[in-house]
Amino acid sequence: MNSKTLHSSSQRYEGCTLTGALSITSGVEDAVTVVHGPEGCAHHNVSLLHAVMAEQGRPALPRIVPTGLTEEGVIFGGEEDLAATLRAVAARKPGAIFVLTTCITETIGDDAASVCSEDYGVPVVLLPTAGFLGGCFSDGLNAALMTLAGLADPVEEAGETVTIIGEKNLEYEVEENFAEVERLLASLGLEVGLRFVRDARYADLKQIGAGQLNILREPALAPVGEVLKERFGTPYISSFPIGLEGSTAFLEEVGTLLDLQTGEAVQQEEERQRAMLDSFADLRGSVFSIDPMTFRALECTPVRRVMEALDLQVDADGAGVSLPYSPPVGTAGIRRLLHRWRRRVHA
Amino acid sequence: MKQIALYGKGGIGKSTTSANLSAALGAKGLDVLQIGCDPKRDSTRMLMHGAWIQTVLDLVREKGEDHVSIEEVVREGFAGVRCVEAGGPEPGIGCAGRGIIATFRLLERLGALHGDVIVYDVLGDVVCGGFAMPMREGYAEEVYLVTSGELMSLYAANNIAKAVARLSKRSKPSCSLAGVICNAKNMAGEEDLVREFARRINSEMVAYIPRSRTVQLAEVHKQTVMEYAPDSEQAAVYRELAERIFANDQTSTPTPLEMDELEDLALQFAEI
Repeated sequence: MNSKTLHSSSQRYEGCTLTGALSITSGVEDAVTVVHGPEGCAHHNVSLLHAVMAEQGRPALPRIVPTGLTEEGVIFGGEEDLAATLRAVAARKPGAIFVLTTCITETIGDDAASVCSEDYGVPVVLLPTAGFLGGCFSDGLNAALMTLAGLADPVEEAGETVTIIGEKNLEYEVEENFAEVERLLASLGLEVGLRFVRDARYADLKQIGAGQLNILREPALAPVGEVLKERFGTPYISSFPIGLEGSTAFLEEVGTLLDLQTGEAVQQEEERQRAMLDSFADLRGSVFSIDPMTFRALECTPVRRVMEALDLQVDADGAGVSLPYSPPVGTAGIRRLLHRWRRRVHA
Repeated sequence: MKQIALYGKGGIGKSTTSANLSAALGAKGLDVLQIGCDPKRDSTRMLMHGAWIQTVLDLVREKGEDHVSIEEVVREGFAGVRCVEAGGPEPGIGCAGRGIIATFRLLERLGALHGDVIVYDVLGDVVCGGFAMPMREGYAEEVYLVTSGELMSLYAANNIAKAVARLSKRSKPSCSLAGVICNAKNMAGEEDLVREFARRINSEMVAYIPRSRTVQLAEVHKQTVMEYAPDSEQAAVYRELAERIFANDQTSTPTPLEMDELEDLALQFAEI
C-alpha cells in the first residue's frame, strides 16, 4: 500500500498528480491527452490550463478528452469506455495519444495498460496519475517527463543546440523566463533546439538526446537530467539562472561544461545589470512592507541582494509589495520585479 | 416489516438456506421479497425453477436507470416469493460493491422494498463497503451468520461479526446480530462447536440444519426443498427455521473472537 506523505514545503509539491502530468502532455502540440475518469477530473484541469494558457496569449483549448466514466462504468469496469475513446481519438490521427488515469479507475483496478497496448494506429502512451496514491503535482510532472524521455530515439552524434527541460507551463512568466535563458545562451553563441515540453511536436520529443547541453527548469528535475546524462552523455545545468549573480554564474557554468570562453559575455552581463539597477535609482532608500503571504521569498538570496544594492528597507508601515511566487529568473526577472515594486511605491 | 440478511463464507449454503427460508415463509402466507446481493446472481434460482432472472444491473445497463420498471426487476417465484437479483460486473473487472449500492438506490426509487419479510442474501464476505450496504440504516435490521463447523467457515462468520459490531457502534445503529445458523457438514461435534461459537460471540445458534441428500436432489430438479419434498424431514427443518426467525426478537451486538481464540475453540471440539 502507498503511504506516502505530502511534502508541503516546496512550491510544486502540491496539487494533483493528474494536473502535473497534464501540464506536460498538453504542451505537446499534435498530441491528444485522454483522461480516463469522470468528466469532472478533466474539466477542472482543462479550465485551469485554458485560463493560464489564455493569459499567456494562447487561447486555444487544450487537447484533452475525458473517457467520461459514469457509475455504470465504475460498476462494470471502464476498460471498454477507454478503448472506445482511444478509437475515436485515434481516428483523428493525432501525433500521439497520452492516457492519464484517475483515482476512481485506479481504485476499481481498470487494466489501462492492457487497453493501451492494443494497436490504434497512433502511438499510445500511458501515465498512471491517480492522485490518491499520495503523489502530487510534481510527481505527475516528473513522471510525464521521465516517460517522454524514455521514448527518445538513439542519437548518433550530439548536435549543437541546447535543450530546455521541464519549463513551468503553468506560470504566467513562462515565455519571459524562456526568453531570458535564450538571451543568455545567445550571448555565448548558443541556440535552443528543443523545448521539452513546450511548443513541441511528438516526433520532436524523440530528439531529446540530440542536444549538447540540457538545462533543467529547477533542481527538482535532477532525476530527469540524470537519466538523460546516463543514456546520451548530455551534461545538464540543474536550474534556470536565479537573479543577477545567478545569471553570471549560469554563463560560467555553461562555459565550463561546453568548454567555451565566457569572460566577455559575463562582463557584458554585469554591465547590463549595473545599468539596469541604475535605472531604478529612484527607488533607493524606499521603505517596503512585504506581503506576509510571500514573506518566505525574502529567504531568496538573489532578492535580498538586490534589496541591499538599492538600499531598500523593510517596514510594516511601508508600501505593500509582494514577492514573486517563483524566484526571479535572470537579470530580466529582477528588472520585472523592480518595475512592479516601483508601481507600488509611486502608486 | 422484518428485514433480515444472511451472510457467511462462500459456498456454505447461504443461497440454499435463504431460498428455502423464503419458500417456508411464503408458504405460511407471508409476503416475502428475496434479494440476491452477489454478482453470481444465483440466489433466487431455485425459487425461479432454474431460471436466471434478469439482474437489476443488467437492466440498468441495457435500458438506463430511468427506464427500468418494477415489473422487470421483481419476478415472482415459488410460494409467491418475489425475487430480485442485484447482479454485477463480469468476474475480474469493475466494482461489484458499487453495484450493490446502485441496486439498493434503484430498488428504493422503484418502491420495491416492501412486504412482510425481506431476505437479503449477501455474497461470501463483507469485502468492502458496498457489501455492507444491506446492513446499513433502513435495510436489514437482523443479521444471521450461516456457518458450518469448519474453521474457515467460522473464521468468515467471525469476520462478518466484526462488520456487524462496527456498524452497531454508529451513532444511529441500524443492524445487529440475530443469530447463527449451522448449515452442517456432518462433522463430529459440529453442532456443539457452532453453538459454543455463537455463545462466545454473544449470540445464539438459532438452527441446526443437517446435511441432507434431499437438498441435492431438490437442486438438480431446480427446486427448493420446500417445493420438491415438502413432506421431507429437511423441509420440516426449514419450516422450523422460518418459524424461529419470524418470531425472533432477540438481537445482540457481537463480540468477535481473536484468531487464536477461534483456533482453540475449533481444536477443543475437534478432540471430542
